[in-house]
Amino acid sequence: MSTTTNGRSYKAQKVIDRMGQKLTRQMVGSLAACVHCGQCTDSCHYVLSNPGDPTFAPAYKADRIRKLFKKHYDWTGKVFPKWVKAGTVQTDEDLEELKDIVFGKCTNCRRCTINCPMGVDLATFNRMARGLLCHVGIMPEGVEYVAKEQWEIGNQMGVLKEDYIETIEWQEEELQDEMEDPNARIPVDKVNSEIVYVINPREIKHDPRSVLDAAKIFYMAGADYTMPSEGWDMTNFGLFNGDDELGGAVAGRVYDKVEELNGKKLVISECGHGYRSTRCEGPNWAKKDIAFDSESSVITMLKYIKEGKIKVDKTKNPGSYTFHDSCNNARSCGLTEEPRELLSLVVDDFREMYPNRAENYCCTGGGGAMSMAEYRPSRLKSAKVKADQLSATGTKTVVTSCHNCVDGLTDLIGHYKLGMDVTQLVNLVANALVVDEKIEENRKIHSAETSATAAQ
Amino acid sequence: MATLDVEGKSYEVDEEGYLMDWQEWTEGVAGAMAKEDGLDLSAEHWNVIKFLRSYFEKYQIAPMIKILTKELAKEYGKEKGNTKYLYELYPAGPAKQACRYAGLPKPTGCV
Repeated sequence: MSTTTNGRSYKAQKVIDRMGQKLTRQMVGSLAACVHCGQCTDSCHYVLSNPGDPTFAPAYKADRIRKLFKKHYDWTGKVFPKWVKAGTVQTDEDLEELKDIVFGKCTNCRRCTINCPMGVDLATFNRMARGLLCHVGIMPEGVEYVAKEQWEIGNQMGVLKEDYIETIEWQEEELQDEMEDPNARIPVDKVNSEIVYVINPREIKHDPRSVLDAAKIFYMAGADYTMPSEGWDMTNFGLFNGDDELGGAVAGRVYDKVEELNGKKLVISECGHGYRSTRCEGPNWAKKDIAFDSESSVITMLKYIKEGKIKVDKTKNPGSYTFHDSCNNARSCGLTEEPRELLSLVVDDFREMYPNRAENYCCTGGGGAMSMAEYRPSRLKSAKVKADQLSATGTKTVVTSCHNCVDGLTDLIGHYKLGMDVTQLVNLVANALVVDEKIEENRKIHSAETSATAAQ
Repeated sequence: MATLDVEGKSYEVDEEGYLMDWQEWTEGVAGAMAKEDGLDLSAEHWNVIKFLRSYFEKYQIAPMIKILTKELAKEYGKEKGNTKYLYELYPAGPAKQACRYAGLPKPTGCV
């Protein structure tokens, strides 16, 4: 290994130098404030599932990053390095070790953050550390691959534009069959729409049932909406790999398309990290002022029911249900009450899991963990506390507003043989739809309008 | 590295049980994987697996679900070429479960 003049590897030197450019007040506050009180320890699902292993404690993990800050950027580390445990990285092996902590031992779920009396936000500087490592090419292979797809093709699953359009056309045919209306449409690139609806590529590539379900709801509500032909991926691996440039590029594509189409509102399908990235973090990453409003599809669906635009019948969803809050929705964006209100409108037997809302445990597949195959055994072992929490509800189905949580939960449910199903609100709402006379009328007006637009 | 033992031969699989080398695949491998999941492979399951393999051999990539359903509809009729049917066959999702039985690598991204 070639080294710099001070004996440090080039990559390690780069990580240290770049840290100085990435530190924000929020991070410095978090790096300086920890008093090692240990309150975070019992908040972390890794610790709760691996009692006796101190290397999973949030404060321990944070100290692997904190030592660099102390050594290279904080006066305390220069005056009393030993007291404040200042330290450095020398070799590429040191960086690999750091990688296994920041990617493999933390899902950036922020549960420790809300339980920290000093307000230390580990997830924020853990993400920063991930970004430093990615910058020098050190990251799990899966993360590298997905980020590359998002850079090059514009969506995280490498779906080509013609395949995206054809899949929507296919779902449009299914919509026409199910609604027995040959004029039913899933409009693409319709300008001046009230709603521009963006989704997770998983819905196109692997499971388009949620595209159809959303289309049914929009159709029944007589919604003026469109799906964009570009910038339709609202997920964002920039949140997971700590690369603000990627974050800005992906979110920017979504914003640009909404502007080009002159859409009034951006509606984001059920995906926790996508919602956070596109609605909350994206404008900063993309360095862009957003002139249009945005909301989660959960809120859109709830409004349709409350305003009487769609009618639902709970008895169409028999069985018992619990609700899993996605970390990004609940802890980072405060979206906790609307999904519950909506769920209570479409199922009869809804039982809370404990803890819930902002205190809920991560699905254990967050922070991009589902694409890091190398950590799967440890991830599943650390899902023990989540499995216990799920089975304590005694329900048959867990509902969540996040595609990633669907996969994380499905994986752990299989591993712990819980025998539960996982579904999303959009599926339950679509399944509960009722056609009555008034709605039938809306539907006809709507399809007449759509055909008129198509004829123009 | 984890292994899967089938008929006296040992196959390397990744952490999630996907075959490391798709060319090593045999029908016995698919059967053994399904058995672990408590599933008996019917002729209908095999139709999906065979299509996935032939597509992967041609393009070195797993097909999108749109292509898979269209192809099944063409070969076996419309009632077998839809998403609902595929999820009934492979409850954990055609992308993950059927691809794994067919010896294809794990799909990337948050699935």
